Amino acid sequence: MKRRFAFFAILGLAACAYGKVDLVTLPVRDAVQLTIYNSADLTLARERRTLTFAEGANALQFSWANTLSDPTSLEMLPRGHAAEIDIAELVFPPRTRNLGLWNINSEVSGKVPVEISYLTSGLSWRAFYMGTLAPDEKTMRLQAYVRVTNNSGEDYENAQVRLIVGKVHLLDEIAQLARRPHAYGSPIQRVGDDWLAGRAVKKELEVRLNLEYDAMAVCDAPMDAKQIIKEGLSEYFLYTIEGTETIPNGYSKRLLSFEVDDVPVVNLYKFEEDQYGAEVVRFLSFANDADHELGETPIPGGVLKAYRRVDDQRHLSYVGESAFKYIPVGEDVELNFGPVRDVVVEPTLMNFATDNYRFDRKGNVAGWDEQRTFEVKVRNTRDVPIQVEIRRNFETSYWTLTQGNDIGAFETVDVDTVKFTLTLPARSQKTFEYTLTTYEGTRREAWKRLAR
Amino acid sequence: MNGKRLILLAIVVLLAVAPMASARIKLVALPERAATVIRLDNPNATLIEEERVLTLQKGLNKVDFSWKGVQIDEDSIRLDVLDHPEGVNLLSVSYPPDEAALVWEISSGGNYAETVRISYLLRNIDRLITYKAIADKAETQVGLRSYLVLRNFSGEDFEKARVLLDYGEAFEQGIDHEETKRMLFLKAPKVPIRKIWTFDAAQLPWDPERLENQNVGIPVSYRIVNDAASGLGQFAMWGGKARIFQDDGHESTIFLGEDNAPLVPVGEKMELYIGDSRDIVVTQRKMKDTRINLRKNDAGRIVLYDTDELITAKIENFKDSPATLTMIQHIEGQWDMKKCNLECKRKDASTLEFEIELPARTEEGPAVKELSMHYHRRNVRTR
Repeated sequence: MKRRFAFFAILGLAACAYGKVDLVTLPVRDAVQLTIYNSADLTLARERRTLTFAEGANALQFSWANTLSDPTSLEMLPRGHAAEIDIAELVFPPRTRNLGLWNINSEVSGKVPVEISYLTSGLSWRAFYMGTLAPDEKTMRLQAYVRVTNNSGEDYENAQVRLIVGKVHLLDEIAQLARRPHAYGSPIQRVGDDWLAGRAVKKELEVRLNLEYDAMAVCDAPMDAKQIIKEGLSEYFLYTIEGTETIPNGYSKRLLSFEVDDVPVVNLYKFEEDQYGAEVVRFLSFANDADHELGETPIPGGVLKAYRRVDDQRHLSYVGESAFKYIPVGEDVELNFGPVRDVVVEPTLMNFATDNYRFDRKGNVAGWDEQRTFEVKVRNTRDVPIQVEIRRNFETSYWTLTQGNDIGAFETVDVDTVKFTLTLPARSQKTFEYTLTTYEGTRREAWKRLAR
Repeated sequence: MNGKRLILLAIVVLLAVAPMASARIKLVALPERAATVIRLDNPNATLIEEERVLTLQKGLNKVDFSWKGVQIDEDSIRLDVLDHPEGVNLLSVSYPPDEAALVWEISSGGNYAETVRISYLLRNIDRLITYKAIADKAETQVGLRSYLVLRNFSGEDFEKARVLLDYGEAFEQGIDHEETKRMLFLKAPKVPIRKIWTFDAAQLPWDPERLENQNVGIPVSYRIVNDAASGLGQFAMWGGKARIFQDDGHESTIFLGEDNAPLVPVGEKMELYIGDSRDIVVTQRKMKDTRINLRKNDAGRIVLYDTDELITAKIENFKDSPATLTMIQHIEGQWDMKKCNLECKRKDASTLEFEIELPARTEEGPAVKELSMHYHRRNVRTR
């Protein structure tokens, strides 16, 4: 294991004699816990070590190299004899980097377990999913994975790995804090240096992306499934991976988060010219609830690659992929697979008329009605049943709508949008009609009465 | 202390009153600092007070105060005579050309070992305040710690100084040039908090369905009151970065988020924004927006009208715990509320604030509340 964190204890010193380090012990980590966030380049590292204290003043030096850890987050907490150990101060000595020195007064001598925590960067995780649709597309086998990547510069051996789902508010990037020449910055303003620091960050990010890409190609071997314990805390979900993991620097690990065999799904197709243009967009819809064999925890956002089982020999057809957002327990999921051509929605203007003209005192036109009759043809050319949602947007809030037949009952979405929902069996077609009346000029004054 | 002495004090004793020599003579005695105070009560400037003993002779004395490699506001330099204020008079202060120095001309009524206090504003030495709060699992209270961070980039080493803030006891601390020290100075183990979710209709998107693959995060804050009931309230809490953690129930913590705490006077509230909730979803829509009560000019053109507007908001709590959502709605101009199904507080002429209690989700699904605001905007002029 590459050791990049070093711990020195200087015992029995009254003052900070960091120029003349008297090395007494170099204690190893007893345990490491990594809590990795996915909304920011942020990991809370917590290590336990057993230190040997002398009665009186102790100076403990903690240093690191080749990692991007935030020195301002460095904390030490005695896990024993807490009342007898006073952590007086943390000193960042002059003309040193990546080094903190604790001055500690101890009323005990001997071994004391301590916990050291800090925020570091370079560890990341993401969720991704594989969905396998049944031939009838009524159910889907859903496999959820998490992938943890270590580009921190440190090898973490036998670490307890915890993953946080949620959006954390950060004022500064940890990596930027780590790169500052002085732990808490300096009151001296240096505009030019900030610009240089910005350039350095960009370069570093480029390197990291490359590393991750390489690791993906080399290290994506399937792992034995481990249980992941999930629990809610504040606005976050905490995933704790069973046991411990060793993730060397530069490596990624993929772990199965959960697997559900038969999630009922709806083939949902949407048509809305304002949002998607003239194309029909395919969605796969389900809910994160018990009715869909889910609903125990929120589902972290990620990308789902969907396949369809096409025969009894377990051959697959690739349907596509869809990114989706974080899904709370109980909320519907709509996976967007993009525009399709095998479901067609064709709205056609069949008739246009104007009526109810009003004139002002000078004889000019002051108000009128416009009537448009649309015929909407919906064709399902697929061999599975589907649901189609058609939204029609109007450019005015003064409108009334009448339907020409029973097909496609509509509901009002908002002031200028209505929604028709249709269910179509395999290889079928439906046609519905509606007449939209819009009220212009002074005819809007009559709209309130007419709209009732 | 590394032995650098960058602020120098020298005494030239002039026994006869004579015009100042063009080439200045320096260094008769170099008195050591007796006591130094670093005063950090002003966040914009740091005042140094140092006491030195000057050996003054009866008559006119010149005291040369010079510095190098440090930035002193020379207009801020003061000299106070402590032992014989009646017998020792500061006559003048002169600034030699092209030098970081000044010369005090002091008249002494006797031969004194006079203690003087020299004070000046020194740049690039300051203090920061940081906070660390650990919330309990139920998020009802936090253990609050505040740290003082001393940063000395002034160019001067302070071997031992008394450090003074605007409250609390002074403490002794040495700090070298380019050194940073962090010290605990406030510990409040059980500070009650209130967790607040806020939806501001002017700040957040109304309809999450219109956003492709994006959650609308509802900002979440902790509210802390700086008063005695919170175990605080003895002094104003300085502004600084606050990092908030939460006890995870497994002898460990998770990091919840961080925010810049403002200065909080005694009795006032501090709100720390920690992150966004994606388990409360607000879908707000305008369901009606029409013109009514039209008033026209002689040409029949509408010049004044009222509006008939209906806004609905569906609030869903997907969390397994209850929450109180603060919802802020804005109606500009002159308006009348015709019907509103939830109680609200009018914050100002155009702002309404709703406190909406949301139960936890059930097995049937999320807890849902709906807001419906039917209002008229009055006397809107046609442009």
